Parts: sequence; C-alpha cells; structure tokens
Amino acid sequence: MSNPIVSIQGLSYQYALTEVPALRDVSLDIAEGEYVAVMGPCGAGKTTLCLSLNGIVPHMMAGGVEGKVIIAGQDTAQTTVRELARTVGMVFDNPEFQLSQVTAREEIALGLENTGVPRDEMIRRIDEVLGLVGLRGFADRSPLAMSGGQQQRLAIAAALAMYPRVLVLDEPTSNLDPIGKEEVFSVCAQLNRERGMTIVIVEHEVEVMATYASRVVVLSEGRVALNGAPRDVLRQVQALEAVGARAPQVTELAYRLEQRGRPVAEYPVTLEQALAVFPAEGVR
Amino acid sequence: MTTPPIVCDALGHEYAGGVLALKPTTLTIQPGEVLGVVGQNGSGKTTLVKHFNGLLRPTSGRLLINGEDARPRPVHDLARHVGYVFQNPNHQLFATTVEAELRFGPTNLGLTPETVAERVQQATSFFGIEKLLTSHPYRLAFPLRKLVAMASVYAMGPDVFVLDEPTTGQDHAGSNMVRKLIERLREQGKTVVIVSHDMALIAEVADRVLALWAAEVIASGSPRAIFAEDRVMQRTKLYPPQITQFARRWAPASTRPLPLTVAEAAAAVLGEER
Amino acid sequence: MAQHLPIPVVFVPRNSFFHRLHPVPKLIWAVGAIVMAFATRNPLVLLVLFVLGILFIAGAGVMRAYGRVMLVLFPISLSLIVFQALAPAFPQPWTPIAGFGPFTIYQEGIYSGLSLLLRTFAGSNFAVLLVLTTHPADLFTALQKFGVPHELNFMVSASLQLIPIVQREFQIVLSAQRSRGMRATGFGAAIPSMVPVFAGTIERVQQLAMSLESRAFGSKGAKTSLREVRASAKDVIFGLIGIVVTVAVTVLVLQYQAQLDWSKTPFMPDWVSVALVAVAALTFIAFTIALWWRASRE
Repeated sequence: MSNPIVSIQGLSYQYALTEVPALRDVSLDIAEGEYVAVMGPCGAGKTTLCLSLNGIVPHMMAGGVEGKVIIAGQDTAQTTVRELARTVGMVFDNPEFQLSQVTAREEIALGLENTGVPRDEMIRRIDEVLGLVGLRGFADRSPLAMSGGQQQRLAIAAALAMYPRVLVLDEPTSNLDPIGKEEVFSVCAQLNRERGMTIVIVEHEVEVMATYASRVVVLSEGRVALNGAPRDVLRQVQALEAVGARAPQVTELAYRLEQRGRPVAEYPVTLEQALAVFPAEGVR
Repeated sequence: MTTPPIVCDALGHEYAGGVLALKPTTLTIQPGEVLGVVGQNGSGKTTLVKHFNGLLRPTSGRLLINGEDARPRPVHDLARHVGYVFQNPNHQLFATTVEAELRFGPTNLGLTPETVAERVQQATSFFGIEKLLTSHPYRLAFPLRKLVAMASVYAMGPDVFVLDEPTTGQDHAGSNMVRKLIERLREQGKTVVIVSHDMALIAEVADRVLALWAAEVIASGSPRAIFAEDRVMQRTKLYPPQITQFARRWAPASTRPLPLTVAEAAAAVLGEER
Repeated sequence: MAQHLPIPVVFVPRNSFFHRLHPVPKLIWAVGAIVMAFATRNPLVLLVLFVLGILFIAGAGVMRAYGRVMLVLFPISLSLIVFQALAPAFPQPWTPIAGFGPFTIYQEGIYSGLSLLLRTFAGSNFAVLLVLTTHPADLFTALQKFGVPHELNFMVSASLQLIPIVQREFQIVLSAQRSRGMRATGFGAAIPSMVPVFAGTIERVQQLAMSLESRAFGSKGAKTSLREVRASAKDVIFGLIGIVVTVAVTVLVLQYQAQLDWSKTPFMPDWVSVALVAVAALTFIAFTIALWWRASRE
C-alpha cells in the first residue's frame, strides 16, 4: 500500500499487571478513505488496537510496548495524544461517559478551544458538524436530555470538529436501541462516502458491517486472524467460528446448504447478494 | 390448571409530572413461558417489566404475582418469586468473591445457612462456574461477569426471571451461552421474560413476543407472526433477523411458516416440508 | 427527559438585570459582602446587608432557588443561636438573662449567635446570587482574564454534570440490590450500593479522561473561548458602586467599632431573647428529626 494513513508495524502491547499481551505482533496498513470493521471476541485486543491509533496506548496506559504505529507520518510514540487529536478522532462505547458539557454547542467547542481555534471559525465548525451528524437545531440542548443515538452522534460531531482524517469508533452502538444504531451507522457511512473520511469501527453487528465496510479485520487473542474485503473474510464461516466470531446469517445459510449437499455458486455476505445467489422461489 | 405467575390487569404507569410511561396493559404470562419484550428505548418496555418485582408500582390497574395482588409486598419479598437481572452486571456486583456474591441474595431472603449453601451450590453447578468461586467479580471478563450476575439471581430460586438485555455487550460465544441458559431455564419450568433489542435472540428463544411503541403494547404473538407483520415492524422501527428478512423477500407469497433461524431457512430453500 | 439537579445552588436561567450583568461586578459584590460581614458584628448593620442581598435575589427572579437552599441551611444554622446563647464564644464574665435548670442563657451569647447567623447569610447571599445568575462558563471565562486556569472552568462544569448522573446511577444500583432482596436502606445497604457506584464512577472518569485527551484537552499554547463576555457601562457602574459601598461601610464600621459593639447592650427585651433561643432550639430539633425520619424511610 503506498503511503497509508495508518501503518501499524509489528505492534505488541501488554498492560501492566496482566499476564497475557493484549496485542501480539500486529501489522496493519489502512489507506485513506477506507472503512475498516474490526471484529473478534471479548479480549481479542479490539479496544487496545483502537486506543493505539491516537497514542492513548501507550501514553495514557501503563504497559510494555513493542513495534510502531505511524499515523499520517507521525510516530505515535513520539507524538502526544493532544497533537494526534488533530488527525485522529475517537468515539467510545458509552455515549454518556464522553460528554461533560452543559450544551451540545459547548461540547463541540471543547476541543476547538483547547487547540486555539478562533471564535468565528469555531461557530462555523459547530454548525457544520451538527449538520453532518443530523443534529442541526440541537446546539443548545443538554447532552443529558438526548437519546443515546443523539448523544453518540454528538460525540462524533465533537470529534469531527477537530477535522480529523481518521475517525475511530470503539463499539459505538453497543449501548443503543435499533433506531440509535441505525443513526450512527448511517452517519459513519455518509462521512466515509461523501467526505472520504477514513473509518475504523469495532462492531459486533456483522450483517451491518458486511454492507458498509470496505475491509474486515478479525482479531483473535491479540493477533490479526483474518483481514480483507468483507466478501473474502466473511465467507470463511468455519474460520470465523473457530476464533469466536461469526458470519452473517445469509452466509451461514449458504454454508449450511453446501454442507447438506446443495452446491452454492458464490457465498453471499449481504442480503442483496443472497437474493441474487438464491433467486426468489417463484422465479425458480 | 396452574396459576399464572404474572398477571397485569389494566396495569398503567404515569410518572410524576403526568408523563404517561405505560398505557393500561392487560397481560397474562403463563408458567414456563419465554416472553420477549421488544421496542425502542422509551417505548415503555422497561417500565412494564420493572413492575414485575415491584421496582415500579402501577399508578392504575393491578399486578398479580402467583394470583395475589402484589401491592402490599415490598421488592425484597417479591424477589422470592421474580428475579430481575439488570443489563449491566456492574450495577449488581459488589462483593470481593463470586461466592459472596452468590450468597448475598439467598441470605437477604432470610434462609438458613444450610439452605443458602445449597442454593449457592445449585447456582454454581447450573452456571458451571465452580472455578470462579474465589475470583473477584470485577476481575472477570464481561461475559463471565454477566454470568455471575445471572447466577446471583438464580441462587435466590425465583420462578420467574426478568433478563434485561442479556446479550448486550456480549460476543458471539457470550450470546450463545445466554441462549443455552435460557433453554435450560425453560427445561426447568422457569418463566423467562427477556427485554431485548437483539431480534435474532428473540426469534430463536421466545414463545411469544410483545412489541411496544409509544408507551403501548401494539402487538402480541408468536415471533413468527410478529416478524411477519410489516405494519408492526414499520411502526416500531424494528427489523426482523436478517435470515427472516431474506426469507420474506425470497418467498414473499409463501404460506409456509416463516423461517426464524438459519436452520429453518436452509430447510425452506431445500424445499423440505416441516 | 427532565433532569432534576439534586444540588440546589446552580445557575438558574432567567433574563434579569443580574443575569445580564458581567460576572466580574457580581464577583466584586460577593467579595465585598464577605468583607463587610466580617468587618462588624453589629446585628443591625448585618441585617441591612442581609436584606439588601435578599432584595437583589428577589430582583433577579431566583427567589425559589434561593429558598430551596435556605430550607436546608437555615434550620441547621439556627443551632448557632442555641449553642452560642448557652456557651458564648466571648471572654467572660457573661451576663445571664434567664435559666432553665442546668442551662443559662447569656446576653453575650445571644449577641454572638445572632451576629454569627446574620454574618453567615449576609456574607453568602451575594455569592449565592452570583452562582444562581451566572452561567459557570461565563464566570470562568471572565476569571480566565485574571489568570485562573482554563482547566478549572472544565472541572467545575464537568462535576456539575456528573452529579445528576451519579445520582441516577445510585438509583439503578439500589434497584438492582433491592431486586436481590436487600432490605436495609441505612448502614447495611452502604457497601452493596456504594461499591458499584464507586466502581462505575471510576470507569466513567477514565473514559472521560481518554475522550478529553482525544480532543486535545490540556494542550499548551493559546486557548480560545466560545463564550464571549463583554462589559458595558452598567457593568462598570455596578462594579464601582460595589467597591465604593464596601470601602465606605468597612471604614465606617471600623471607625465606630466601639459604638457598634452591642455585646453588653440589651438591644432586645429579655423575653424576646428567650423566645428566640427557644424557637431556634425547637426548629433545629424538629428539622433534625425530620431529616432522620426521611433517611430511615425507603
């Protein structure tokens, strides 16, 4: 890959006071504009991988590190989290835990104030990012009075206001209801499609990721187990199962049919592909 | 005929300030039934199930537990019959060992030390957590912490379990474990009420689904019937599991039972009669 | 969803003269009132200052919020009168007014208790006014100009946000433990309910710290501020009045210190003093019992 925006080179990391490493010799390049879904069971190292992308690992955590992470040419070991904040935006799993201000406007302003963005520019950016996440008109709302989906979109807006080139989301929908999940997924897809934003997202909803992601990375016990286009990775039903992940239901269907002796020309990973692979009963 | 463990008789709830959280709901939960409660946040599903062990009291109508009016009975007394497992195990766990955590509930019920020990033993073997007994609950990985939280409620020996979002935050293995546990609770004749956004889980384990929207139960029926009703799905903005969506579009006019699982869909594609 | 802040002393949005005022003149008054209150013990001077504060608070339309604070603070503060009347913080000899069995009420005690009580409220009224009518961010933006660090602004607003969240979290934990048959609400409930809340708060603070760091919190270099606080002529005038009043009153009360010392002057009839102590004692006891009863209920 020529000039990737994220380049992880042989990264190993072990938190202090733990017995096993969280990451073991992980190497991964991500090009600008990719939408990368990171999957794997609990304890596979997904969160640690996310935290290493803006230097929280190793700067804010006690532990031992080997290897390198280069973000847009900056070595994270040599750069502070605060400086990396202009390149990498972070969104965490619990929307409420990230928000601290009295109004949405001030929540978004926080990062801009910290980096000395002039007031006029700040006001312009607040309007812009509220629009991007579909929260126009919410500027004066208290984050506490918002739904989970709105809170999480506000957290995304607060990260976007810094104009990052990479947006990292660690299980952003795990605490949301279906409406909230859908809101967050569509905002991420839109940012990726329309603004070319590089997205790295940890997500368990494999059916959704199969349609949005351009790449799927499956971690297992701190290593990259599978890595590639959704169609190539998610069709490996057995390999996924072996590392404690799973394939989309339509893919599993194809696998089962094959097991039961019915040949399947091509494994589908999305609903639309499945409908193409298995023509509707009436048509058959 | 056995007495239904939970009966809601026009049960409604209005919060102070006049916000209607649940319109009057009439509902009978049968012994041994696995009931799925689905709906968006704020639709009233948590409000409904929080009545089952007295955490909320109806502001109109009545709640009967084992045929008796629950009104005069405090939460710690209703806890004998209805075990409530909270979504986040961190809200429940506080002790320094898993064993102490398991003892907490039965001890609160005023059982003798022998009975408490017996209950702890039963919960330990049911959940297969013999090796964890001396561990610190906060040191366990999330799926195991959730398991301990469920076991700590099981140790109280309730007939009814309310599980709030049992698969949230779980990985694939954790979700499968929850499915197995629900099946085993069913085998023991326990009644299980599951509040969840996980439609695949509901499709696989529930006997009946209640769909709520805007403080009201708008549909009640088998998962097969509820997931087949476009009107209900659109109104509640819920999506059936992917395999069910596939099956509906694959064979729109089929009169065969709607597949809810991959196995059922495979059988349908192979043209097997069920 | 309505969020009810459990702590009563927080910004109450209104559009009064005091709300529109720049934070600094309000701060001048708040500091001035404390200086004046500590310059004298004379009950009459303190009463005038106290009443002025109440008038300002009423003028700002935040009387209800103020009342809620006082509902808690006032009965507790009444104990000052009772204890002082019985054992004055004053050099002996004391002048006895009345006695009930082992208790004797002293003139110096009444004087001391009354001035302590009035001093507390006369001094704090203006500070309460400042907090009730000033958006915390405005206050700290103004203070930043005087060299108060930017992080303080954040710390205060973030803690204010944390309080209702922790309170709600506590309710959830309490529900979870009651669902496990926990009966006790007093001491026995402390560990099962506090440990999860405490652990949850630590987790929350850790994640907040990561989220803030990811937004360049604590960066060196120039900071900017979204909120703009501008001073107009009325702000300057109000601030100047505050300075003049503070200086004038302080100078005067110090000059006439001897005449204003009423510790040996029976400025109230004895029966009023006795009635005051009795009412204060009864109110304080009743309030304590009410609090205890509320806590012992579910």
